[in-house]
Amino acid sequence: MNVHIWDDWRGQPLDEVLADYRNLVEDADFPTVKKWRDAGGKVLGHFQVYFPEEIAHAAGMLPLKIRGAALEPTHADSHFGSYLCSILKTSLEMALSGRVVLDMFVSHPICDAARNLAAIWGRNFSYPCQILYLPQNTNSAHSVRYLRDEYARLQATIEEVAGCRITDTDLARSIGVFNENRRLLRELYTLKRESPWLIAADEAYCLMAVGGMLPREEHNELLRWVLDQLPSRPARRQDRIRIVFEGGFCEQPPLDLIRILGRSCYIVDDDLLIGLRWILTDVPATGDLLGNLAHVYVEHSSYSPVQHDLRKPKDEMLLRRIAGSGAEAAIVCAAKMCEPGLEEQVAYIDALDKHRIPCFLSEFEENMSSFEQLEMQVETFLENLMFA
Amino acid sequence: MTLTAGIDVGSTYTKGVIVDESGRVLSRDIRPTGFRLGEVARRAFDSCLAAAGLTSADVQYVVTTGIGRHLVDFKDVAVTDLTASARGARLLFPLTHTVLDVGGQTMKASRLDEAGKVRSFRLNDKCAAGTGAFLEKTARYMGYKTEEIGPLLQTSKTPVPISGVCAVFAESEVINHLSIGTPPADIMRGAIESLTDRSVQLMKRVKAEPEFTLTGGILRFPLMADAVRRQLGCEVNVPAGEMVQFVAALGAAILAQRRLVQLRDESSAESAARAVEATS
Repeated sequence: MNVHIWDDWRGQPLDEVLADYRNLVEDADFPTVKKWRDAGGKVLGHFQVYFPEEIAHAAGMLPLKIRGAALEPTHADSHFGSYLCSILKTSLEMALSGRVVLDMFVSHPICDAARNLAAIWGRNFSYPCQILYLPQNTNSAHSVRYLRDEYARLQATIEEVAGCRITDTDLARSIGVFNENRRLLRELYTLKRESPWLIAADEAYCLMAVGGMLPREEHNELLRWVLDQLPSRPARRQDRIRIVFEGGFCEQPPLDLIRILGRSCYIVDDDLLIGLRWILTDVPATGDLLGNLAHVYVEHSSYSPVQHDLRKPKDEMLLRRIAGSGAEAAIVCAAKMCEPGLEEQVAYIDALDKHRIPCFLSEFEENMSSFEQLEMQVETFLENLMFA
Repeated sequence: MTLTAGIDVGSTYTKGVIVDESGRVLSRDIRPTGFRLGEVARRAFDSCLAAAGLTSADVQYVVTTGIGRHLVDFKDVAVTDLTASARGARLLFPLTHTVLDVGGQTMKASRLDEAGKVRSFRLNDKCAAGTGAFLEKTARYMGYKTEEIGPLLQTSKTPVPISGVCAVFAESEVINHLSIGTPPADIMRGAIESLTDRSVQLMKRVKAEPEFTLTGGILRFPLMADAVRRQLGCEVNVPAGEMVQFVAALGAAILAQRRLVQLRDESSAESAARAVEATS
């Protein structure tokens, strides 16, 4: 479907555009999704962390990244145990409260809680709710073939929902759009590493996050324009510690937390919304396209606590991320009640200690609203490094 | 001469200090903060520059602190009041291991290590009780201005107990005391004692160790330091005169000096490394 649903930014100054997109990311009514539906489009919601959005895009659907929202889970609370993380509840709340209307939902067995989400979702809605079984053992020689078949299984349902068949031409075009999107996001992260004073941490986050709720062609246009504007932005370089933020792979920290962290230090790399940057290389747009998507997932992907790959020990990957970005320290967080995130902290801290990399350890919850103590702690940590 | 500035944008007053590399204060300024935090910081800085006969180009590094520290666009770096007060207290009293800062709207206790870094800290809860605002409000109820609190306290003979837990309850208590004819000086003294209780509790929670240095606007009233001394059972340091309000700004300016030295050292080390690389 070729419609522009969010053109408000055109002709606006950069600062206003970035502020508008912050509002859009925080808007729990998801106006871009409503506009898309009003124009007759269908929506596939996919839960964190990674989903091959190219397939839904090729079918003319809007792939919507379901990453929770700043909502009270008044409807969803009763569907989950109190010991479960917040993102599950607020994600379901988005649908139960009618703020977001989907045509299909997909989740992944990234943890026990997420594995059950599609079933809970499916009991409440009549549209297809599926689990995409990503390979548990990515080191198996059969994992690419297995994942390709999973993608094909999913594609069949997507075609049914979209009411069209996905041709190779459709999928190749979509792969091209997403390759461009990933290239632009890499460019954004290069800028964060090389000139972090040009864009605040929360601005960069919002610029990336809107990709999960806009047609990707529109996101590409926006990214190209912003990346073109940023180098000439009047911004004063400040003397700040460079840090890597780790812990935003699934549940997202509140935007205010990102803003508060970003005003005390330069966040030069992170794993926030890592699913949007999961594939590290261009996906070939010729040959067996589903096979190509499966291949890059297994062979050319980032890391997170919910993918287990012996070639990518998470602690070593974090050390590489720190070295690659020239960071001086790490802020390692985990969402409250997030088992994969909390478990990985042990290995992270051990590795950071061994390499004498200063680290600040904390937890967050997407709906937390008081940051004063945490900010003071982080700042004191950073000041002890800066004025050693 | 290497000059640096420290600007403490506090909730009630904004303080500015310019120092040289020996830590000597060249000029200082204090003014009510108001609502435009970035602007008041600029005015305090400009006033410091004018008083020392300098221009902004003469100041090599600016560190801001206080509640409005992030809103100052000409800063090089912002630091917490904890770190700034710690460094200021260490400059004035080198054996300081615990700092109690009682400001207009916050109260903070911190314990320092040998290097002067903050190792542990506690803030007051989100409540006016235990802050300068509480004392000002109490004085206002009784028809006194802030600057009259000091002289009023001197006339107290028998302080009355005032709730140290909640400013709202304390307000009711003040009204009750007034209605039964308690002298305002004794009520004010009671409020100071209540503030002291909270301060000492906070210091205990950070496992306070001597020497203790007290800072912040409330310490302008000598009775406050006396009360803390009494409760702790030992001597406390209080910066002389108005300097008690400038400790964080002074610390910020000193941190700026320290940072400049670090940056110069790093730059020299990088140049040396490049030279070695080029000749090898």
